[in-house]
Amino acid sequence: MKNDTFSMFLYYTKSTIKSWFQYKIDAILRSFAVFLREATGIIVIYLTLLKFNNINGWNIDEMLFLFSLLFITYGILIIFFTGLRDFSRIIQNGDFDRIILRPRGLLFQIISINSDWFAAIGHGFLGITLFIVSANNVGIVWNLKTIIYYIFSVIGGVLIQGAIFLFFASLSFYLIKTDNLREMFYWNMRKFAGYPISIYHKFIQWILIFIVPFAFVNYFPAQFLLRKPDMAAYPTIFMYVAPFLGIALYLISYGFWRYSVRYYKSTGN
Amino acid sequence: MKPYIEFARKTFINKMVYKFDYVVGIFNTCLQIFIFWCIYKALYGTSSKIDGISFSMVTTNFILCLGLSSTFQINDLFVQEKVNDGSIANEFLRPVNFKGRILAENIGSIIFGLIFNFIPALFVAIIFVGIQSPVSSLALLLFSASAILGFFILWQISFIVQMTSFWVINVWSISTIKNVFVNVLSGSMLPLWFMPRAVMGFIKFTPFASIYFIPIRIYLGDMQGNDILINFLRQMLWIAILYIIGEVMWRRGQKKLIVQGG
Amino acid sequence: MSKSLIELNGISKTFKISKRSKGIPSMALNLFHPKYEYKKAVKDISFRINEGEMVGFIGPNGAGKSTTIKMLSGILYPDSGHININGFVPYKQRKEYVSNIGVVFGQKSQLSWDLPVIDSFELIKHIYRISDKKYEENLEKFTELLNMSDFINQPVRQLSLGQRMRADIVAALLHSPKIVFFDEPTIGLDVVGKEKIRDFIRYLNETQGITMIFTTHDMQDIEKTCNRLIIIDKGDKLYDGNLIDIREKYGTSRQLDIQFESNINISPIEHVKVEQLDGLKKRFIFENTKVHIHELMSDLLTKYKVKDLSITEPDIETIIRQIYEGSIDIV
Repeated sequence: MKNDTFSMFLYYTKSTIKSWFQYKIDAILRSFAVFLREATGIIVIYLTLLKFNNINGWNIDEMLFLFSLLFITYGILIIFFTGLRDFSRIIQNGDFDRIILRPRGLLFQIISINSDWFAAIGHGFLGITLFIVSANNVGIVWNLKTIIYYIFSVIGGVLIQGAIFLFFASLSFYLIKTDNLREMFYWNMRKFAGYPISIYHKFIQWILIFIVPFAFVNYFPAQFLLRKPDMAAYPTIFMYVAPFLGIALYLISYGFWRYSVRYYKSTGN
Repeated sequence: MKPYIEFARKTFINKMVYKFDYVVGIFNTCLQIFIFWCIYKALYGTSSKIDGISFSMVTTNFILCLGLSSTFQINDLFVQEKVNDGSIANEFLRPVNFKGRILAENIGSIIFGLIFNFIPALFVAIIFVGIQSPVSSLALLLFSASAILGFFILWQISFIVQMTSFWVINVWSISTIKNVFVNVLSGSMLPLWFMPRAVMGFIKFTPFASIYFIPIRIYLGDMQGNDILINFLRQMLWIAILYIIGEVMWRRGQKKLIVQGG
Repeated sequence: MSKSLIELNGISKTFKISKRSKGIPSMALNLFHPKYEYKKAVKDISFRINEGEMVGFIGPNGAGKSTTIKMLSGILYPDSGHININGFVPYKQRKEYVSNIGVVFGQKSQLSWDLPVIDSFELIKHIYRISDKKYEENLEKFTELLNMSDFINQPVRQLSLGQRMRADIVAALLHSPKIVFFDEPTIGLDVVGKEKIRDFIRYLNETQGITMIFTTHDMQDIEKTCNRLIIIDKGDKLYDGNLIDIREKYGTSRQLDIQFESNINISPIEHVKVEQLDGLKKRFIFENTKVHIHELMSDLLTKYKVKDLSITEPDIETIIRQIYEGSIDIV
């Protein structure tokens, strides 16, 4: 029936547009949600410093600059390490067995499987925005030396966090729910790292320098460029070690990973 | 009543199975309290009071806020999971009220949270950070009552978010955005005493200020007599408003499900 | 004697399982003092498989079959013993070894859920570094044999179980492996679906000499595709031989059902058990090693008026069940 065909066609068109629309809406909503969640810390800092003006001598622009390093490094990190972030799910699904059965490196497969572009864009965009807003107001002279330093610090920051992700991924072989642990060690410490570590009790500073070395991801690199007075409490060399530390930590994590894969093969799941 | 108690009990037991969960949960909360203690110590510097609020009031605010929020955790994705795998249809066939079941399960996990999250965290916080005692035992009682009301506000908000799963693919996004609003505007990251005026003006028209801030102010004696009564009413008003919204969405959602067949 | 393709010697595997307690108080205690028990999943198993054989592993749940398969495929290390497959030690030379094997898990697809089947195939081509020529050849051949052209471009989530199984099998074969392991390949399929898969598997074995190993609960799978059967129970190998032998050795019991014209009293016959069935039917149960069936039949047919009769021998499934239950002793 001619009438019927036409209305059927309209119906299909409408539902196609609707589902396309829903999908697009969903994608936009997700990026926005990640963006907003990450921006929470910034928003709170901003509102707080509206009242209090500065924290340990760091003003609002310097705080934004400090934060931007966290986001930029994470945006790059998640492009490569999404698979490791979600690794506990791979183990629980039994998908890891399939990975073992394929003639490619295990880590290579995990890293290539997936990239969370929403997270990468959300964090990356936030980081770049903060950088642009603050970089000119904090008194950094951008020349070849400082630019190269900045790039190497970012790489170092990515490697340090990558090592942490790899470590927690390896833990999935031993523990069922590693998400909570990672939540605590990575995400909470990251919240700490949003503030200059000099405000914290020595114990926390120690954790941020020696256990979950976020201090080397943003604080010390920022200090190299900003030279705030609270740097006096720390050895100057800390400002230079980020890339080397990144490589070293990554290698250690990788060793643990190899050991843990052997453990998995001995005990099954 | 019996099946609801069973739901609560099951959730409670499930939580016990994951040993790490609860140890890490407490640690989490304590750490967060500590962060804020450090931040505000630096912010206060040498002043003893800012805007009439003392440092120990601020720390008490954080301990209670973070303690309560870690206890009141609700899984916003519960309904969505059921809608996605189709098992929502089974829920309608059961002789138990679905909403009641969700509430019962959440209460099970909260009782767990109270015993294994809130109390230990409180204990640790008292030792390392120091908490101000409630101004009176009456205040403590009223604080508890108000906190329970605050929970119901939070629960209704979560229920509304879960209801969106009938219309939206990804409830996670909405839940995350909701959490941002709750975290920032409820005073758990920046005590509402210090919130800029303009923002406070906006918050007044939202339920967020009624979740944690009202009970905490009662506890600290920052609220007297009639004010307390008014704020209790305010909390109940929000519960009512949110309940209505939730119910409407629930009915509409059910209809949509029946018409569309999931 | 030619060297076997697959050699297992004295393989054992023991698992440590934590004991879960019930009730809130003992669970709280368990948090601080976890208890474990040891389960011997595989106890000293050995066998050899030659190239081109089709072997079925059968055993009750928890018997140790999937543990053995995991060790054969390199996913698990044995606690003791040696494995040598195609010149490799599976868990030692992983990447080289897995290039030559294919694994099909009936319950877990290796295909990407949201993507068209062909996309998953191309991913596999890339992972296994299959040459363009070999890929095109295999793809064309298998697509035709299994009638996949009408759904090869559809996302996996839209496929029926039968279609998905076919796609999964092809996925395991694209890189022309020498050995293929099948874990419950026909589970959930209807009769026609199962038949298609079995035909295809037999065809592969006949034309390409691919060695195949099955673990399954479906005896028909084994009867229709395998020539050799290994029975595993509680970690032990109970039987290793071909199907014909198992019938001849252990399937000696026979049932002769006779419907007589009238009600008769049968005098006892040596070595024969007589059961009364409904109405005028009687059942004669005996071992064909002890009683000659033609003697029994001619005896009964001449003595009595017989309306109808049937003879049944036990099916493999019954035999196997009796082996599990221990009512048949394996010699």
